[in-house]
Amino acid sequence: MKNSWVLAWKDLTSYFRSWTGVLACFFFLVIAGVFLSLLVISFAHLSMEASRGPADSFQGLGLTRFVFGSFFLNIGTILIFLVPILSMRAFAEERRHQTLELLFTYPFSDFEIVWGKYLGMIFFFQILTLPILFFVWFVHGLGLTLDWGPIAFGFLGFWLLGCAYLSLGLFISSISENQVISAIVTFGCLLIFWILEWVAGVADGSWAHFFAALSPIRHYRDFTFGIFDMSDFVYFCFFNLYFLFLTLRAIETRNWKG
Amino acid sequence: MQVERSALLQDRKNEVMISVQNVSKHFGQIKALDQISFEVKCGEILGFLGPNGAGKTTAMRILTGFFPPTSGKVWIDGREFFKDPRQAKRTIGYLPETLNLYPDMRVREFLKFVAELRQVAGKKRRSHLDEILSRCGLWNVKHRLIGFLSKGYRQRVGLAQALIGDPSVVILDEPTSGLDPKQIIEIRSLIRELGRERTLILSTHILPEVSMVCDRVLIINQGKVVASGTVDELEAGLKEQHQIYVAIGDIGKKEDALNLLHSLEGAEQICITDEKAQEVGFSLIVPKGLDLRPIISRLFVEHQIPLLEIRSARLSLEEIFMKIVVDETRSGAAL
Repeated sequence: MKNSWVLAWKDLTSYFRSWTGVLACFFFLVIAGVFLSLLVISFAHLSMEASRGPADSFQGLGLTRFVFGSFFLNIGTILIFLVPILSMRAFAEERRHQTLELLFTYPFSDFEIVWGKYLGMIFFFQILTLPILFFVWFVHGLGLTLDWGPIAFGFLGFWLLGCAYLSLGLFISSISENQVISAIVTFGCLLIFWILEWVAGVADGSWAHFFAALSPIRHYRDFTFGIFDMSDFVYFCFFNLYFLFLTLRAIETRNWKG
Repeated sequence: MQVERSALLQDRKNEVMISVQNVSKHFGQIKALDQISFEVKCGEILGFLGPNGAGKTTAMRILTGFFPPTSGKVWIDGREFFKDPRQAKRTIGYLPETLNLYPDMRVREFLKFVAELRQVAGKKRRSHLDEILSRCGLWNVKHRLIGFLSKGYRQRVGLAQALIGDPSVVILDEPTSGLDPKQIIEIRSLIRELGRERTLILSTHILPEVSMVCDRVLIINQGKVVASGTVDELEAGLKEQHQIYVAIGDIGKKEDALNLLHSLEGAEQICITDEKAQEVGFSLIVPKGLDLRPIISRLFVEHQIPLLEIRSARLSLEEIFMKIVVDETRSGAAL
């Protein structure tokens, strides 16, 4: 397992050796910051109007639910653009530099390579998400009372969603010859997964259930509401495991493909 | 450490380091390797020859644990390779044919990464890295980005990478391809030096390199071992044929001479090798024990062709190689 850490650390630092890492962090924070500011401002408008009008039309719409519920849902959308950029390098880049062949001849197993690559991306994603805590602290600092439970679950959900997307990206990177193709295909797949939620809304009967169960956004939505449902958690774990397994299989194809 | 190693090697001089037994590798319908077997002794430099697509790279990849063979067994240093690949991989250093490395890493940083992956103990790592850096002539560029290095230097980094963890077997796939002549000479001398303390397998298609560097040669073609032995042994094996070189001093008599040579019984592969001013040179291959030289000289004199030179030539490794590979391919096609 130590080898996976070495590999993960190399990948993590390689994000910062090029501009990819810095730019990804920068844009993510700017966009997330804009989303949050817009939400806080519109909440302020709404609550001012509410204080003038009849109060009962506004029951149950708390600050946390309105601002952070939507915030987490919105930054979940940014991931569709962000993840392809983070994951495209994983295997496609190693393949381009012909270092993948070298890695296979070092004393560790295929699983350790896949795990190391996955961890490297997760670590970077972790760094990316930490400033969100700063956002929360900032809103709290404005003197507003927050409900911490839903925020914690929203954060957990966002993290799980990111990991799941990254595992999909990892798999696609392992089967693509170059980074651009890897990024485009990952983006396409994520878009399809995103659209599943709409399909679930339009379809009827058991199909609606089927698509809803498949859609990562549906499962994520529960988290942003502060609801912890075991089935959502299991869904994300399974999503990760499934794509890690496929990645492992994909790099084993060298045994018969040459 | 080098002294220790060469001393150790002296003790084990005749032990078998690598043993490959009936190894086959299939990719779908394609047989990349077909039942090959060979052995490499401790401290030997084995040259791996073969035309492109003969299965050299596949064989090397099996020896480095890149993938297991479809059937057959590989032993390295007395242990079966694919029973415990992790342990076996530690005894092997590999330089793949094409290697770009990570352009955004610095030389020392990259080698440190490799040392961690190859599990060089933390305490020894520093001195080990320094030693390899200076041996491979990388000391002055150790803080440079790999992407900015020349191809020769990048190849040295590749070689350095293969030496990390002090493996007892080093496998080099086309180590001099794409380098300029000066770099080739430098890399070759580095390889020769390495050969003094390690078992080395060197794949190449540059034949003079083999006779310069290797103790023994293994020629593979179409996934099979077609010949193995020292360069001298291979030559002796082909001694049932030898080459005669004839030069005449009148270009106008070229056709006559050619016709005469063609009329000789036993002469094969007659061709014009050089033509300059009035001189024309021919070469022909004849079976062993049949010396056509007296007959040729008598015939030429009779036909008033000015004979300048006639000699029996040694087959070069190129010719040996061509002969073996072409013959094999022909007999394969006939089957």
